[in-house]
Amino acid sequence: MAVKPCLWPYMATAQDPPRANTVEPFTGPEPNSHWNSVGPYFTEPQKAPLLLLTDRPVQLETPRHYFLTPFTPNEAFYVRWHLEGIPNAVDLKEWKLRIEGDVKNPIALSMSDLIQKFKPISIAAVNQCSGNSRSRLRPRVPGGQWGNGAMGNAMWTGVRLGELLDMAAVKTGSLFLQFQGLETGQGPEGFGSHVFLKSLALTNPVLDECIVAYLMNGEPLPMLNGFPVRLVVPGYFATYWTKCLSWIRVLSAPDENFWMKTAYRVPDTPRGNTTPEDVKAGKFKTVPIERLPVRSFLISPDGLSKIPAGMSVTLRGIAFSGFGRVVCVEVSDDGGKNWAAATLGEDHGPYSFRAWEMPWTPKSPGRYSLAVRATDQKNNTQPDEPVWNPGGYLWNRIERQEMVVGNAS
Amino acid sequence: MAGRTSAIFLVISTLAVTAAVVAADLKKGYYTPAQLGSLRQPSPGALSPDSVYQVSAYPVPVLDLAAGDGRQYVQIHCNTCHSPRYITMQPPLPAADWDSEVNKMIKTYGANIPEEAVRKIIAYLQTHYTPETRKE
Repeated sequence: MAVKPCLWPYMATAQDPPRANTVEPFTGPEPNSHWNSVGPYFTEPQKAPLLLLTDRPVQLETPRHYFLTPFTPNEAFYVRWHLEGIPNAVDLKEWKLRIEGDVKNPIALSMSDLIQKFKPISIAAVNQCSGNSRSRLRPRVPGGQWGNGAMGNAMWTGVRLGELLDMAAVKTGSLFLQFQGLETGQGPEGFGSHVFLKSLALTNPVLDECIVAYLMNGEPLPMLNGFPVRLVVPGYFATYWTKCLSWIRVLSAPDENFWMKTAYRVPDTPRGNTTPEDVKAGKFKTVPIERLPVRSFLISPDGLSKIPAGMSVTLRGIAFSGFGRVVCVEVSDDGGKNWAAATLGEDHGPYSFRAWEMPWTPKSPGRYSLAVRATDQKNNTQPDEPVWNPGGYLWNRIERQEMVVGNAS
Repeated sequence: MAGRTSAIFLVISTLAVTAAVVAADLKKGYYTPAQLGSLRQPSPGALSPDSVYQVSAYPVPVLDLAAGDGRQYVQIHCNTCHSPRYITMQPPLPAADWDSEVNKMIKTYGANIPEEAVRKIIAYLQTHYTPETRKE
């Protein structure tokens, strides 16, 4: 029997409301409502198509679906550079990692030194940009307009920073370690636009956990993620994870350079929260940004398609914290009134993404507001209040995702 | 359109040449014009078993800033340190924010821009990239 074309169940009808088939090219002045930023897909060397924020210097965001697994593929790992002089080529015959400054034995190590002279160590750790989710802020603030995809988790393999410092013999009375990579900018010397420099205090216990990584998920680092080696600072924001690390400088005085003294600072207030009025009034002190506040995300389903009522689907996502293991992930399907615990996936260590999942069977058609919140072992739980500060840092509010459930017959 | 595009190409290629003057062991800051929306695969390139690890130039897709007075000053001065996509990536910002952004580039980042150009750049951004004025 012939079926009339107009009755084909999968055929669009003229009554469908007209709609754009791509997202808007920019968002604002209201917060970006999409999970990711809204830039186009774009392909850079050694990378899968990622979401383009900027091209020179390069900033690329990881699309949501790549977070279905607890380890983020290298080719999909987000990219964020500050200065336009990004390496296109490095000759390992010439390249050295140098430890200099306030040390008894300045050293210069080649890649083969790093591979052969030290016992390799691996750690799973989340690398998240300080400005991840900046496009959520109200009012919006200037800066990279990231959605949620300026983060990734990898198994980093390399040499303990402490072993390198022992070899160089840091002098007593030294105060800071300054890290410099190969990126340079067109700006004048003495300005942040010339070189990118970050520092950590020698008394900071995180130094015991730092490694100089030459492998990322078991492969050499992509050039855009910091080949040949990158500093890994577990639990800390990515601003300290110097790419193409080439100089470790021991300082006997605090680091006054722009990237420590002016940039990447947060209000010394609970959650780094403040208001535009308090900024104008100069009401707070600022401190360098440090650890990642606890966060969790629903990755799938992503809400872009409907779910038939009565069907059991698996809600899946990830959670992490820079303060210790995620011990609990809870999910709500009524916008945050009632919560139920999700099942946690394999534990890859305290600084890794932790996968979670939960079966969900929406009984009746309608609009559901799914919310997810995580708690870490220090008992930090994601709050439901937004954060605002002028840098657009430290966003970790409970995420919500609208899910539309349709009739199943 | 064609003239504007080639002007951007010229600026970019001039920068690429400037940036190419670096030490022999390290090549960086190579960018190449590109097109958005192209789904062609990147070339795998040729590899040799020596000690040089390299990738191709980083592509910079052509971007047309809103047409209007002052645009050429943006293309010349702002482009020294970053492509104009840094402007279009921002949400529409209030006029006062554009003023402080441009002044941040000068005072904090050391951008060397003649005073008249500074005024024109700020006016251009305020004319095309605020919540009230932004179209594209």
